[in-house]
Amino acid sequence: MKLLHNRNVIKLSALWALLLLPLCSFSYTFGYTSNAAIYGYTWQMNSATLGVSAETGLDISGVIYQYKVVKDKEDDFVVIVGNKDKDGGYIWKDTEDWSGKYGIKLRKFIPIPYTPVELFGKGSIATTGKGTVEDASVIYMYRWDLCRNAQNDKSCPNYIPPLPVIPKFEIYDALEDENVDKATEETDSDLYNKEEEESKDKEVEEEEKGRLEIAMAATENALTIANTASQATLLQIINNATNVSSYYVAQIVGGTYRESIALQGGEIIDNRKALRSLGQDNLMNEMIEEQYK
Amino acid sequence: MNKLITIALMMGLTSAYAGTNINGTVESRCTVNTDTSGYYGNPNAYTLTTLPASAGQVPIIRIDTSLATAYKAQISYPTSFSSSPSLGDTVVWTGAVGVDQTSSSDMSGYQAASTTANGGAMRIYPLTVAGTTWFSVASVATYGGGQQKAFPGGSYTAVVIAECVAQ
Repeated sequence: MKLLHNRNVIKLSALWALLLLPLCSFSYTFGYTSNAAIYGYTWQMNSATLGVSAETGLDISGVIYQYKVVKDKEDDFVVIVGNKDKDGGYIWKDTEDWSGKYGIKLRKFIPIPYTPVELFGKGSIATTGKGTVEDASVIYMYRWDLCRNAQNDKSCPNYIPPLPVIPKFEIYDALEDENVDKATEETDSDLYNKEEEESKDKEVEEEEKGRLEIAMAATENALTIANTASQATLLQIINNATNVSSYYVAQIVGGTYRESIALQGGEIIDNRKALRSLGQDNLMNEMIEEQYK
Repeated sequence: MNKLITIALMMGLTSAYAGTNINGTVESRCTVNTDTSGYYGNPNAYTLTTLPASAGQVPIIRIDTSLATAYKAQISYPTSFSSSPSLGDTVVWTGAVGVDQTSSSDMSGYQAASTTANGGAMRIYPLTVAGTTWFSVASVATYGGGQQKAFPGGSYTAVVIAECVAQ
């Protein structure tokens, strides 16, 4: 009796689990991506291109594409729109042969069985022949299952908080260090003594050199101090000389110098001696000129 | 006995009359939908136009057919208002119907293959390929019979007729 009761309980539980399974496991969001061909006629199936999160949980269910063909009716022109798969083939593709046809706007819907976005490779609009494609648009229809990958969101069941990243530490092994090996190598004692003597000599030499430097520095300092003192004195003297305030207060005792010479007789007579002298000058000049003749 | 019964039964069958209906419905393999509603712009007092340059919008009609060469699309631009204020003068109607988009390059010849009727207001397209075709319909109404008379103020409505007719 008890065994029968247990079986019934198990059956009921299983039934409830089956009924609740669709409610718990799937919560899809449906929508359309952005125009994947907006930046060019080849594109990657990533979040930046599609405008939606292109991660595990995104299934593509169809493609709506449109473009305008510009060509002359008689020209051959073929347009292939599709997505590569991971093996180099096409996961879907649609070919329109415009050869011998008028160029017009084309809009098509290509249904695809729900396919995870991870299986989609690069998308493209490829053309062959004479003509151009303008105003192209490729939009994917999708459904999004947020919790297919439980790590997509904290609210998903079975979500495991990620462990903090533990940095790797490298353990230093002194026994494997070449420098340590070299440092701990046995040294030739003669070489060691010689090196010790050389280093002692060097120390003594450096000490003497240091003393000499100190002595010279003291002398130089004394001279510098003396020079500084004499320069101060000199500056003081110069400053005194430039002190002109005494000139402003000096006074010159003065008076009136009157004319004391008077012209006697009121007539000025030419100086005859001077005239004679001038005549001798002429004679002298003639004599001088004579010598050059 | 058995024979008699049989005869009687046969007589019964031949003497009674009954009318029996055989019902059936045919779902059209061609549907017509409005993809984009149109509206008139009013660039001046005497003109109503669907041209986008004049702040109007050209209506887009979508026709789907799942059978090739079974239907023809008949689309007409308006030649009268379905509702408007009282108009005492004549309205001159012009318009154009064209293929805007198709779902197959095989439909690219639809416009070239189309014919007109009703003085050019109706355009008929044989739908030779299964798929979807989008048609645009432009409409211009000018009031005053060339005298550039102002339309009376009010609301104006005109109707584009699109049909899918079995060939």
